[in-house]
Amino acid sequence: MSIVLTRVDDRLIHGQVVVGWVQALGAQRIVLVNDEVNANDWERELYRLSVPAGLAVEFASVDEAARLVEEWGTEPLRTILLVGDVETIVRLCGRSEGIKAVNVGGLHDGTARSQRLSYVYLSEDEARQLHTLSERGVQVTAQDVPTARAVPLDEFA
Amino acid sequence: MIETLAWLLLWGTVVGLDLVSVGQVMIARPLVAGTVAGAIAGDPVGGATVGAVLELFALDVLPVGAARYPDYGLGAVAAAATAAGAPGALGTGIGVCVGLAVAYLGELGIRAVRGLNTADVRYRREALDAGDAAVVRATQMRGLLRDALRSAVVTVLGLAIAALVYRWPPVTVQGAVLVTIVLIGAALGAGATGGMRLSGRGLHLRWFVLGVAAGVVWVVVT
Amino acid sequence: MNVRIASALWRTLLFQASWNYDRLVGVGMAHASEPLLRDLPGGRTGEPYREAMCRATEFFNAHPYMGGMAVGAVARAEHDGLPGEQVRRLRHALIGPLGSVGDRLFWAGVLPAAVGLGLVVTATVSPLAGIVSFLVAYNAVHLAIRVWGLRAGWRSGPAIAQELTAGSIQQGLRVVGPIAAIAVGFALPVVAEWLAEEFQMRTRLSIGLVAALAIVFSRWIVPTFGTLRFGLAAAGFALVVGWLS
Repeated sequence: MSIVLTRVDDRLIHGQVVVGWVQALGAQRIVLVNDEVNANDWERELYRLSVPAGLAVEFASVDEAARLVEEWGTEPLRTILLVGDVETIVRLCGRSEGIKAVNVGGLHDGTARSQRLSYVYLSEDEARQLHTLSERGVQVTAQDVPTARAVPLDEFA
Repeated sequence: MIETLAWLLLWGTVVGLDLVSVGQVMIARPLVAGTVAGAIAGDPVGGATVGAVLELFALDVLPVGAARYPDYGLGAVAAAATAAGAPGALGTGIGVCVGLAVAYLGELGIRAVRGLNTADVRYRREALDAGDAAVVRATQMRGLLRDALRSAVVTVLGLAIAALVYRWPPVTVQGAVLVTIVLIGAALGAGATGGMRLSGRGLHLRWFVLGVAAGVVWVVVT
Repeated sequence: MNVRIASALWRTLLFQASWNYDRLVGVGMAHASEPLLRDLPGGRTGEPYREAMCRATEFFNAHPYMGGMAVGAVARAEHDGLPGEQVRRLRHALIGPLGSVGDRLFWAGVLPAAVGLGLVVTATVSPLAGIVSFLVAYNAVHLAIRVWGLRAGWRSGPAIAQELTAGSIQQGLRVVGPIAAIAVGFALPVVAEWLAEEFQMRTRLSIGLVAALAIVFSRWIVPTFGTLRFGLAAAGFALVVGWLS
């Protein structure tokens, strides 16, 4: 129960997350899973500075996250799990039964991607991977902010 | 008359641009847009009243990230034009009603502009990827022009609706008062919802409640 | 302040002019950065300028008021001769944090606080005093942050995080949320009283009832419906009732 939101968003921690979702869900911790951010002191510092006091931020590489995700799900802190791309989320879902739903919050311009929603661009491969997740019983929806409609996977991929 | 309409059109265009494209000095807030539009139309207090009601609705919009939002500034210009001259409670409700509809039209306009901007940058992809400064500048200017056009068109539509409502009022006197009552209520509800959402679940909610309590005390005492 | 910084500052006012789904404000970012890139080695015909401009138009997003900070920091990094991939990394890493800081500081802080002030002054003093106090209070903070942000970014480049550690910013972020919550809370009853001035007690109770319905409906029953549509639906209902009676 303690992972209250699992979100894929290439902007990682930004306004929609800290003003929108953290408030709406009463989250107490954000775990940011991203290899580049995890490897850079100044990037971690930057993200840490941008969140409200009282909200914990932890960083993990994808490998560490794959090892720890099960544990996060059993800790009492209300946690938002945040990743920057589809590949990572597929990997984490493979490691934990605890992730029942994935929120696609924003994936933008990139090579070989096409526009699916105003804030979601996916390659064919990414779309396929999301469908695979869905077939495994994970509920995949797109929703940028809590007050928007959650768009079911079939409508965008 | 024509002069007043021209000033309202100019004001609407500037207000629409302020929302996203230029500066964001917040003349697009309905309180400001409505009061000034009311002053242009000869009824600043009527403008401020509909502006304040729409401002309460606007408090429920958090423009976080790239999320979409109704254009309450353009709504307030149309609302003020509608309400101008009607005494108190008779104009407020119908004015705000027009304002809400126009705010929604404004939002549709924003989506259209964004779609056109997207087509534009796709069309000029190579020049933009090559960092061509002249193309960058021209793309910015075209975006600006589209938004100015959107603002002007929505303002004209709003003024047209205002003129129709003025010529053929769709309600009886009782109906107009009823709409005013319902919309003031809905606006206060929207403002409170916005305030609570702003405060989240944590400590801030206590500050919000404290603020409400202090406001109630102030009202009772004065 | 030199001419190029002034020019970039002016252009940050147009940061969102070509907002689009593909690059969000990437083109606006390039437009605002361009004056600061002109005196890269070789000038406007040089290779560094050309490469920097290519990077500048890529996907970017930030809070519009904080965009100047990114403009300054990335331009400084280009002047420091950072390798292209590192500039990209810096640029990408600024998107989330600057959005987060700007949204918290302004959209969830200074803006609702100033709106609360403007509403209270409108109701208790006069509409003119209301909009003037709102615009002055809001833009004093807004414009100061724009100027400070661009200069701080330009001063620090990749070390931009140290500017955000600055006491005043972190302090501001701490207090602005509670201030906004109090200001909006205080404004609600004051404005309610002003709007309902001419009504009798019974009518006021009806207003309160509709307000309560609006809160319950849009907070708990159908949160995605939006208060705009609730307002329109309620007004439509009232129109029909008024018409029939």
